[in-house]
Amino acid sequence: MVRTPPPLPVRDKAAARALSPMLNRLAEERATGVLVREHGTLHLAQGRVVHAESPLAPGLDVLLTAHGTLATAAWQRAAAAAEGPLRAAELLLESGLLPAGALELCHLDALYDAGYFALAPSSTPGRFHYDGAPRTGTLPSVPVVALERETLRRRLQLHRLWPDPAADTAPLIRADPLLRDTGPAPAAPARPARRTPLAPRQRAVLDRVDGTRTAADIARELGRQAFHTLVDVRRLAAAGHLRPLAPVVPVPPAPPPTAPEQARNLPPPLPPVTDPDIALLKRLRDALEAL
Amino acid sequence: MPGIDECLLEAMRLPGARGAALVDWTSGLALGTVGEAPGGDHETAAAEAAELARLAAEHGTFTAQGADRPPVEDVIVSNADSYHLLRFIDTSFDSSVFLHLWLGREEGNLALARIRLGEMAARLVLG
Repeated sequence: MVRTPPPLPVRDKAAARALSPMLNRLAEERATGVLVREHGTLHLAQGRVVHAESPLAPGLDVLLTAHGTLATAAWQRAAAAAEGPLRAAELLLESGLLPAGALELCHLDALYDAGYFALAPSSTPGRFHYDGAPRTGTLPSVPVVALERETLRRRLQLHRLWPDPAADTAPLIRADPLLRDTGPAPAAPARPARRTPLAPRQRAVLDRVDGTRTAADIARELGRQAFHTLVDVRRLAAAGHLRPLAPVVPVPPAPPPTAPEQARNLPPPLPPVTDPDIALLKRLRDALEAL
Repeated sequence: MPGIDECLLEAMRLPGARGAALVDWTSGLALGTVGEAPGGDHETAAAEAAELARLAAEHGTFTAQGADRPPVEDVIVSNADSYHLLRFIDTSFDSSVFLHLWLGREEGNLALARIRLGEMAARLVLG
């Protein structure tokens, strides 16, 4: 039987409004413009999220063209005639080339998906560019608070599936579920692992794990939402089918060059202090506790 | 061509309809809701209905032989006072969504609702 993951979390209404104080302020003032954050951008119109993009999530163009819903040439024509992917999608809607329901659904899927990454903990402050022309589009928009709450709920969902976030970003490699126990060699013969057949959607993800691709690469190849792919990746990690290849250790930036006499007289420079990201630290602690 | 809201409002015109939602069964997110929520909260109802839909879609016991997608057409739950009808939507792009219709048992006609919801699901994504 297919392994049953833990129940889907329900949004904690009290926990909302903790992700980006800047975003909440922009929502309150009904701002229009683009919020650029470390892992993605949110496009606001009158304080509502109308579009989101992230390098970690396939865009609407990928979702629509990967399985032939829309010919690549048709998207390129719309994109060439429009300013940005949101306007291109609106052109497609107006042209009647795609059913409204399909386009709305795909648009919302892409918005929540990229929004999840755009609101991920970041090490740099976000920047907002005001846009003078507030415009109500024809595609559905989402209140900021709804995107924030859904993002928090999705984080919790992934955490419950498998608390180590390393597999979300690192290249993935297949692991033999039989060899997962890494403790001291057991005296008794290793107990046979439960062979659980994979759901077809998980199989498609696992088939692309090759020691090079990351979850984001697999999502793009499958034309599938990145968060959906992360759900499968964490479930596969929990079942011992894959693991992150190696933790990615960020290279510390080189210290600024100093004059030779300063270098002689001064103590070695302190490492650069960055504002610790509480959410990230908590996730790290949880992952370590779960080992 | 109907959008998500028009589709849900059309579902609400079925006899006995109390509430309807479009739900993603991987994340448990309600992409659209109308009417009452079973249990009083649309978000909780969406997460719980998503659990049920995912179980049906992922377990080989319930999926059609040799069929590619969607693995399951409907999930139907009945209780003393209502019916729940979950209709999987077959999109040409990759997605995991279903329509959830909640029907009062007195006025609801399950057979009719099942046929109509199937038609609405197809129109939503095929136009």
